[in-house]
Amino acid sequence: MRHNINLPTKVEDLLSLKIGDIVYLNGSIITARDLAHKRISNYIHEKKPLPHSFNKIKNTALYHCGPIIKKINEKYKIISAGPTTSARMNSVENDIIKFLDIHILIGKGGMKNLDEKNLKVIYLSYPGGCGAVASRMIKEVVHVEWLDLGSSEAVWFLRVEQFGPLIVAQDISGNSLYK
Amino acid sequence: MESKIQILEKKIKDLLKKSIRRAITTIPEEISNFFERLYEEEDNEINQTQIRLILENFQYGKKVEIPLCQDTGILNFYIKLGNKFPIISSFRNIIDKVVQEATTDIPLRSNSVDPITNKNTETNIGLNSPPISIEIIDSSSDLEIIILPKGGGAENISKLFMLDPIDGLERFPLIIRELIQKAGGKPCPPIILGIGLGGDASNSMILAKKALLRPIGITHKRQDVAELELKIKNSLNELNIGIMGLGGKVTCIDVHIEVSMRHPASFPVGVIVQCYCHRIASFKINKEGELIYEA
Repeated sequence: MRHNINLPTKVEDLLSLKIGDIVYLNGSIITARDLAHKRISNYIHEKKPLPHSFNKIKNTALYHCGPIIKKINEKYKIISAGPTTSARMNSVENDIIKFLDIHILIGKGGMKNLDEKNLKVIYLSYPGGCGAVASRMIKEVVHVEWLDLGSSEAVWFLRVEQFGPLIVAQDISGNSLYK
Repeated sequence: MESKIQILEKKIKDLLKKSIRRAITTIPEEISNFFERLYEEEDNEINQTQIRLILENFQYGKKVEIPLCQDTGILNFYIKLGNKFPIISSFRNIIDKVVQEATTDIPLRSNSVDPITNKNTETNIGLNSPPISIEIIDSSSDLEIIILPKGGGAENISKLFMLDPIDGLERFPLIIRELIQKAGGKPCPPIILGIGLGGDASNSMILAKKALLRPIGITHKRQDVAELELKIKNSLNELNIGIMGLGGKVTCIDVHIEVSMRHPASFPVGVIVQCYCHRIASFKINKEGELIYEA
């Protein structure tokens, strides 16, 4: 089944998504990979507030991605932006999505120990290696945080249109396409 | 006036730059043909969706000349230098300069992070990086350079096994099967596997990576090695890992084994895992700087 989801979204809209369904996203998403996850974890442990820009990402989607970015005429442009291996974030992801109040993860390869049921989170798989076509669906770089981590490790706030096909690989009931 | 050597160096630089762009923005025909064939055979809707996107990505990346995958990898340079090729000033300097320029121009993602400070040089160059391997070819006056961009997701699954000679030959296909089964969708399957059998620890890993330079579909010249390649490939394709780990008939596109003599006490097995997005480019020139081939 094919679904269009506008972000931010209500958790109720994710309940009907079943493994194997195809999803296209519209609206705001953020990228975060290894070092951004590490830094958010540190903020949680030190009970420090995140930069203000993070207030707007509630109920959007977190994309495991380290994009290629080019600055053209003082504006950032996404050149290629496929997913990175999500499993590297296994140990911290539950805490992070709870803290950020995010219920959609996008990545590749799936995640272990994800608390889908209690955190009401779904995991969407985007085929790895398909960074070139992904860049067409990312319409705007809205903001960037933590560029000191390097441009591929920074947190990019993006506006996407018809971002997909994303395959529901882990659903809210805890069903998974991975063995 | 530029000297003959300077002209030759400029030619090498230009060809290197073109080759890096080709490696990053295009895919070998064997790989796109593989997915086109697979699409015809595949009856599962999830896999059809994935294959359509993969093929579209190959076409779009080539058309607009942007990196197929955002992970433009660590660029591995393999230089085959004829012993009669003129002596040039420095391969390291030439490659560093070209890689730095390509990083801005194509652009590439910078994958050069200091392991202690976590600082990314943002240039793709730095200590001992990018890796360059030089092999001297006797009785040749040509220069051939192969560029293999190696992404992190697949490389993370790579491993060295030091087995016992008493049962190493029987055990290693099983150990590789376990390794790939455990990896699931992480290395962006369907994968290509490079295996280095024998040698010592470092040599088996070097051979395993070199095995990836052999074109897809070409088996080892030695019959017994070619049989092992096929046996391992078939065994991996029983795992039902499928495209990106979402299940399916194909987990492995090809297995390439290279062999080296081992120590009587050791049975090293180097395994280098490559993603389906197997990007590679090469060129060869003669001592006059004339192009023999580029691919």
